[in-house]
Amino acid sequence: MPTGSSLPSPMALSRSSPSSSMFKKQQSTPQMSSAASYLSALSQADARARGSRSPTPTATPALSFSSSVTTSTEDTVLNEQEIDNDDGLALPMRAPTSEQVFSTIHTEYGHCSEEAYRYTSQHPQGTVLPEHVEQDPPYYILLSTYISYLLLIILGHCRDFFGKRLHPQYYKHLMPHDGYAPLNSDFDSFYTRRLKLRIDDCFSQPITGVAGRTIQLIDRYSTDFNYTQKFTGGHTRALNISSYNYLGFAQARGGCADVVEESLKRYGVTTCGSRLEGGSSDIHQVAEALVADFVGQEDALISSMGFATNSTVIPALVNRGCLVISDELNHASIRFGVRLSGASVRMFKHNDMNSLESLLREVISQGQPKTHRPWKKILLIVEGLYSMEGTLVNLPVIMQLKKKYKFNLFVDEAHSVGALGPNGRGVANYFGIDPRSIDILMGTFTKSFGAAGGYISGSKTLIDRLRVRGYSGAYAEAMTPPVLTQIIASMASIMGVKPPSTPRAIEDDTYRYPGPMPSSSLPQWVSLPPALTSGLEGRDRLRRLAFNSRYLHTGLVKLGFITYGHPASPIVPLLLFNPGKMNIFHRMMKDRKTPIIVVVVAYPATPLVTSRVRFCVSASHTKEDIDIVLKACDEIGDVLDLKNGIPRSERWPLEEVCARAVELANIDPSVEH
Amino acid sequence: MTSTYSNTPLEPVFSHVSEAVLSAERAFYKLPGSAIIERYVRSSHQNDPGRTVLEIILFLLVVRTLLQSRTRADRNAKSFIEFSEKEIDELVDEWTPEPLARPLDEVEQHELDATHVVVGPSGPKPKLASTGKTALNLASQNFTNLAGNETIKEEAIKALRKYGVGSCGPAGFYGTVDVHLDLERDIAEFLGTEAAILYSQGFSTITSVIPAFCKRGDIIVADRAVSFPIQKGMQISRSTIRWFDHNDLKSLEDVLIQIEKDRKKRRGPLTRRFIVTEGIFEKDGSMVDLPKLVELKTKYKYRLILDESYSFGTVGRTGRGLTELYNVPAKKIEMLVGSVAIGLCAGGGFCAGTEFVVEHQRINGAGFVYSASMPPLLAVSGSKAIDILKNTPSLLEGLHDNVRAARAILDKVDGINIPSHPASPMIHIQLKSPGASSGGGLHPSAALVMPTKPSNPSSILPREASTWDWDVQNEELILQEVVEEALAQGVMITKSRRARGQELVEVRPSLRLSMTAGLTKKETEKAVGVVKAALQKVLSRRRV
Repeated sequence: MPTGSSLPSPMALSRSSPSSSMFKKQQSTPQMSSAASYLSALSQADARARGSRSPTPTATPALSFSSSVTTSTEDTVLNEQEIDNDDGLALPMRAPTSEQVFSTIHTEYGHCSEEAYRYTSQHPQGTVLPEHVEQDPPYYILLSTYISYLLLIILGHCRDFFGKRLHPQYYKHLMPHDGYAPLNSDFDSFYTRRLKLRIDDCFSQPITGVAGRTIQLIDRYSTDFNYTQKFTGGHTRALNISSYNYLGFAQARGGCADVVEESLKRYGVTTCGSRLEGGSSDIHQVAEALVADFVGQEDALISSMGFATNSTVIPALVNRGCLVISDELNHASIRFGVRLSGASVRMFKHNDMNSLESLLREVISQGQPKTHRPWKKILLIVEGLYSMEGTLVNLPVIMQLKKKYKFNLFVDEAHSVGALGPNGRGVANYFGIDPRSIDILMGTFTKSFGAAGGYISGSKTLIDRLRVRGYSGAYAEAMTPPVLTQIIASMASIMGVKPPSTPRAIEDDTYRYPGPMPSSSLPQWVSLPPALTSGLEGRDRLRRLAFNSRYLHTGLVKLGFITYGHPASPIVPLLLFNPGKMNIFHRMMKDRKTPIIVVVVAYPATPLVTSRVRFCVSASHTKEDIDIVLKACDEIGDVLDLKNGIPRSERWPLEEVCARAVELANIDPSVEH
Repeated sequence: MTSTYSNTPLEPVFSHVSEAVLSAERAFYKLPGSAIIERYVRSSHQNDPGRTVLEIILFLLVVRTLLQSRTRADRNAKSFIEFSEKEIDELVDEWTPEPLARPLDEVEQHELDATHVVVGPSGPKPKLASTGKTALNLASQNFTNLAGNETIKEEAIKALRKYGVGSCGPAGFYGTVDVHLDLERDIAEFLGTEAAILYSQGFSTITSVIPAFCKRGDIIVADRAVSFPIQKGMQISRSTIRWFDHNDLKSLEDVLIQIEKDRKKRRGPLTRRFIVTEGIFEKDGSMVDLPKLVELKTKYKYRLILDESYSFGTVGRTGRGLTELYNVPAKKIEMLVGSVAIGLCAGGGFCAGTEFVVEHQRINGAGFVYSASMPPLLAVSGSKAIDILKNTPSLLEGLHDNVRAARAILDKVDGINIPSHPASPMIHIQLKSPGASSGGGLHPSAALVMPTKPSNPSSILPREASTWDWDVQNEELILQEVVEEALAQGVMITKSRRARGQELVEVRPSLRLSMTAGLTKKETEKAVGVVKAALQKVLSRRRV
């Protein structure tokens, strides 16, 4: 972008000239001296694990490290002749000790056995959730941001003005031709053509392999200012702090993937058809019962697409004469669903409980517009964790309001289920609220469970009604068996499975939220390794995620950055403001010695001025990975003038942040703010 | 006099005020551009003093609007009633909302309980949970029997071992996996279009495609019997909708001519115009006359959005759909929408078209932008399925043989009406109204016996709607009996399930048989024979 900084033009930093990058040589991470020494340490550890009859809790005999890597695909490290660990991603920085046996592939799910790097995600009882504060940058940044946009818009219009006269062929698709109106009007597409196109290299980059702890990018470059992208044929492995892989279940190896393979053999790829028209199978019922137990509701319904879960269920809940009260930052799928339903909508200021209460008082007292008839139903729709802000819904206050104002509550837990709470059951679990006191809990499987699709849970009456009245039951294809199996396996490993009950303790076979699930809830053929059934690995994932989230969040704050959201949130937005900094930041992260990929978001997903980077922390990251991200941010933040959060005197140097990580993660947010 | 005033205590106040005014004036003139404003105000005041007042009011209004929060209540609306806090508390106490969901009534509960549940893999002969036995499957949409295909399974397992299950992100943010691009290219090549785009659910595909292109003010001309997801897509688009009689291209032409006439009369600007229809209709299995349709849309300069969800992968020599059947190049259809879930037995849907049409959706298709991309293993399965379809024409031949065999049996049954096209692998069976000679409300033959006066294009209800005499509930009950009777004889069939009360027009209940290449001709004949017997049994019982 032409404004915002005095750096060389974006094109000079392009990937097509890999050696010329000025940021490549800035850092080198400590690593194993050689691949051979790492391998020998591994094989020793593995031999020991095989020798001992009783495996350590984190180890599984069937899936010890070496056995899993020798059967791995071409993407994993050991099939290559030379282990290329130049980027410091393929091998852990510390060799495993003889006691440690890791059952995962480091590039998918990082090896980290340090107990200190764990935290329990839970709201401190008796404290008040801090208000959402949008910290403002210094005025010169705001001003330059506005000027940037102004310049971009003026420049864009100038280019359009001259372009249309000098190169009309490029504008043909925007002009009426042949008696057809253009598909895309000149005005509507201005933002896309003149602003977004400039930073298009930040979006839609194809990948291959698993989007786990690391990711394999398919390298591409553009010779025509992002109109088209060409593939170089090469791949780059990068540290992935962008995918919604909160609990690290995006794995092609391991207990869950093994079960999915078994299900593919048994069930095939699809069940053919919608749920009500012959597409239902026993595995759907198992998964739905399990989801209901997991979130602590009576019943649940699974839909094959996350977006469609909202857009096809909300119209079945409310219609004309009903009111939907919606947080102003609710996801597009919720808006889509509300629009389809025909219900009236009112919005309240993001997470502002006072605004919500005054709105409630007004709408209940006024009733429907004009007629003043009382509303048939009032449905409050909020998200558990907001995907662009990283804010948590203020559920304790909403529950109080719910008691007083008798509205129905719909919590979209797309991002929070799995990611929050001591048991990973989402935002209700985090705040210690009985899930059944919430009418509807909706969530997706894409994020924490490494699967796809979504669910709706609530009372049996409600879910049965939705099965019949929701669109997806009659019209949409049922969810496919491999995806269902991934959900079953990952949920079971978070919940833990009780061993089969003995006849004298038959009453133990019932499920009590949020305890371990009875083994009878799982199909016979699902055999998970002990590390998963014991729930230890699941718990470890939850605690690693909680630690990583808090560490990255508070670490960035201490380094001086402006961040939004709650420290417990695995979504950590770092504010950039200037549009020009977005693609520079993105490229500088990607062109480092250890490439890091990030997601940058701007208008229209965010307000115009608050362009941001959105980090999505995962349980698969190790503490060292977060260190790498912090180090990269620290260096780039200095270059791009991003450290506008706290005064220089209060900032911590990077080394201190890394060294006092555990202390940082334990800072209580309600005290901090 | 002046001296007495100057001694009053107000004097310093006056001087202060005048000083403040002066300094404000100086500050104002220091501002760049202030001279222009001043000149403007002066001259406008000179010309028309009333205008100044008006402009000041206008200015204040703008400031007020800007300051008003978006979420603030519209307290100044005419109907707003001012209540005291106490009154509000009382009203809050009084208000009792309806329950969020009405419990299912007996019939609904029975139908839900009677939903077929397959134990183990689905296929031509699955095992059912209710009976514990295997049944011949005419319910699942497994037209080319790719559901249990071993090669596809192997490919899916390979993909699982390389990509895991979920893609963990929307396509824009590292959710585009190479296999998605592969499948998009495979589909485009298979159909012969420039490009294609994948959505992660078949149902949501067309619901996203329509609003991606059609906006407020655009014109959509749609068939009266378009499927539910199309209706929803049109609702979201907020475009102006005109309807033509179901599968009646003459009626379409009339509507197109009418619209053009109206536009000329109003001298309106040129807007985007679309024809939206289906290849094989979800509601009754009838098939559109594609060559004629393409001719019309070219003649009147409309763009065609064709939903081939049920024809892609099921008709044509190798399953390329209607374009192959009628030998119309797919390039002539601007937006060709199909289902990977139905046609290729994997999951998701696609829209094929020109490069521009596809790229436009990557930014504007809600279901594409805001949703995680489809699991890579499903994309791989889809690619493999295309490969199989291309190389095994016998699959489609088997399917079409079965369709012919089934129709040979069903066409002779009394008391029912089959609105489906003879080549459609999805066969709808409706009940014939007692006494009425005409068929189902959606069938074009119904239009033939009606007076020639056309239906109103602004209403989805056709003219003959007043003569519809069928009773939804009663027919649903009869058909449910047939379903259960067939199941008892070892054949799994289903009614077309609908979100009753939410479709724009209530659809006449029907049984939906989905033929499959997985059954031999003999087995198909046997299965359809059972359906026929069940129909006859239930219908005769009803008559008695």
